[in-house]
Amino acid sequence: MSWKSDIERVRAVAWKDLTVERHTKANFNSVAFLGALILMLFGFALGADSTALRTAAAGVLWLAVLFSGVLAFARSYQVELEGSALESLLLYPGSRWTIYAGKLIANLVFVGLMEIVIIPVALALYHLQVPDRWPTLIAVLMLGTFGFVTLGTFYAAMASRTRAREVLLPLLLFPMMVPVLLAATEASNALLNGDPMGNSGAWIRLLVAFDAIFFVASMFAFEYVIEE
Amino acid sequence: MGEWRFIIAAYTITWITLLGYGVYLVRVRKRAETLRDEAVRQLRRGDS
Amino acid sequence: MTGVTIAEPASPSRTRAARFPGFGLIAALVFAATQAFALFTTPPDRDMGNLVKILFVHVPAAQVGLLSVALLLVSSVLYLWKRDERYDLVAASAAEVGVVLTALTLALGSIWGRPTWGVWWTWDPRLTSTAVQLLILVGYLALRSFVDEADRRAVWSAAVGILGGLNVPIVYMSVKWWRTLHQMQSSPSTVDPVYAWGLRLNDVAMLLLLIFFVRRRYEAARTQREAEEMLESAALGRPVPNEAANG
Repeated sequence: MSWKSDIERVRAVAWKDLTVERHTKANFNSVAFLGALILMLFGFALGADSTALRTAAAGVLWLAVLFSGVLAFARSYQVELEGSALESLLLYPGSRWTIYAGKLIANLVFVGLMEIVIIPVALALYHLQVPDRWPTLIAVLMLGTFGFVTLGTFYAAMASRTRAREVLLPLLLFPMMVPVLLAATEASNALLNGDPMGNSGAWIRLLVAFDAIFFVASMFAFEYVIEE
Repeated sequence: MGEWRFIIAAYTITWITLLGYGVYLVRVRKRAETLRDEAVRQLRRGDS
Repeated sequence: MTGVTIAEPASPSRTRAARFPGFGLIAALVFAATQAFALFTTPPDRDMGNLVKILFVHVPAAQVGLLSVALLLVSSVLYLWKRDERYDLVAASAAEVGVVLTALTLALGSIWGRPTWGVWWTWDPRLTSTAVQLLILVGYLALRSFVDEADRRAVWSAAVGILGGLNVPIVYMSVKWWRTLHQMQSSPSTVDPVYAWGLRLNDVAMLLLLIFFVRRRYEAARTQREAEEMLESAALGRPVPNEAANG
């Protein structure tokens, strides 16, 4: 019985996160647009050479996701802070993991939708061709995003409640992102270039392992962090 | 040989860093003790 | 929820602290001695020449830096388990000393790398994961500096410290994998056994310094927390749970 109510709570938290009106900070349009803007700026930074762009494309795409994604995480806790709804959420007895899961899902949807918007932009700007193994590439994108959102949801629970939230979240999150970023970028890069050396499989397995480790760790640690 | 430049630089930086941190530790301790003395003073004042 | 349980009155801890500068002096002397030993009694390396002597500071700093991360990790776990604020203060002290040692490691690695390979930086697994380690430690301290409430700061730091500490070996492995795939030159991991003693002795000396630094930093942090608790009690007009009248 409590399992069902837990799932219900997860759904409720996720739904609220996605639908409630935010008064300030990042709404979806701004964040998606920022992602595209970052892609463009990197394009300028790298120069017009097509080879350079294509080589850097996977990494740049992930960086664009990272830089604009952090805004989504901060946003996730904003409403609770404004309305002190976090205390009411915590008043309900029982598992804190439902709050984590709900926010995780909401953030996954948010960042996922943003990626759907900026990927075509990346394809165009960086002269990319949709590879044969595009379903695998989509899987890599989802796995990388999951690792990112898992950690981001956790760290934002703290950072958004401090004075220096804008700088603290990236400062805490990005060093933790190195393994996921490496694996996702390498796998994406390999797949975009037709995977000549067959590396992508190894990186994908590594990515899955990282996701699992960070998901368990974040969910476990979230319990401590949301109470205080 | 030019390599001794780097060796000397390495050892100098090491000592400066470690001694510097030692000095910092003394300052931090003094600051904490001053704060504590102040706190004790305030408490005594409160009691009387 | 209370913070520090001030079990012992101030005076004994002060005399204990008074004895500790002796330890610091000894540690510094030992370090100077081991450095001199390594610097003057070891032969130049076949490939690196005298530059190998830089490793006598670089490697101990790296290893003891890693040790302080381990200390941070263990203290953080202990704090979440026992909820004794002293573990939190040990963790914070370990992190701070870790920043110093890790930064030193990177600087020395850079100084060693420039004449050896011609570059100030390489993306080799150890150097790269050490850089990430520094960022993790700095992030940890930054978090602490932005949280004013002691209990929240301790719990949050412990969570961040644990995740960060666990990430260090993960980063190392992922960068190693990343580098093998790109078939880059890895830095020489084996050093001629003639240097083994020099390295070992300097390791021990650096370890003594770590103990001294962490202990001192912890004591200062402890004193500060005591003071903060007393000030809080004074402000609230509450009776104080410790022997504050002893001074």
